[in-house]
Amino acid sequence: MWIGVLIFKNPEAWGGYLQPWAAGLLPIPLGQAMIGTAILDITIGAFLLIDFLPWLAALVGAIHLVIVLTVSGITDITVRDIGLLVGTLALMIDSLPQWMLNKITLQKL
Amino acid sequence: MTFYALLFTLAAIGISETVYLIRKRLLSEKPICPIGENCVLVLTSQYSKIFVIPNDVLGLLFYIMASFIAGFLVIGIEPVVFWSFILKLSVAVGTLLSLFFTYLQWRVIRAWCFWCLMSAFTIWLMGIIILASSLV
Repeated sequence: MWIGVLIFKNPEAWGGYLQPWAAGLLPIPLGQAMIGTAILDITIGAFLLIDFLPWLAALVGAIHLVIVLTVSGITDITVRDIGLLVGTLALMIDSLPQWMLNKITLQKL
Repeated sequence: MTFYALLFTLAAIGISETVYLIRKRLLSEKPICPIGENCVLVLTSQYSKIFVIPNDVLGLLFYIMASFIAGFLVIGIEPVVFWSFILKLSVAVGTLLSLFFTYLQWRVIRAWCFWCLMSAFTIWLMGIIILASSLV
């Protein structure tokens, strides 16, 4: 959530972490894309904070982190995102709802 | 910046804790009581509400407001002076209320509630951080 607030403060500067090839793929201006990222970060954080659909928030968070690692590359700064990615995956697996677990178990049988 | 990050983090802890208590109350479930066994006694006492509003709801509103204001101050949303004043005032009021509730647990109810103490320490820490930042 805090990263979301920091991106809101200076979206263009945070956009500097994007690799040039990734920035070139954006269909919208970089600033707007970063504000969208900030909103997503805050939303994921809020969902996890209040324990509302934690598996979904963790899943979206994991996908988001994979995209971040892809478009930014693994650097001294983004290396921590690997740890966060593993954390979100663990959280998603641990908080899967019972109906989904039942479905997975049935499919195995 | 570090000062606002700490306030935001403490507010986030408070949101998580109060949401947990509200959820337990609405589901009529007992919250986990890591220290002591009298959480329920405190949480269901006559002092668990101010007028008709449960303290956990008031706490949640306070922490949400504190996190928003910390965010506003970092982003620089005007009027910064007003937000700063509101944050200091609300933390001051929260600190005094927490002192009062802690006294009630100690002397009146004679039972300790882990979650209430945790919330009190969170608000006191917010107060200490604000005081320390004004000294620097």
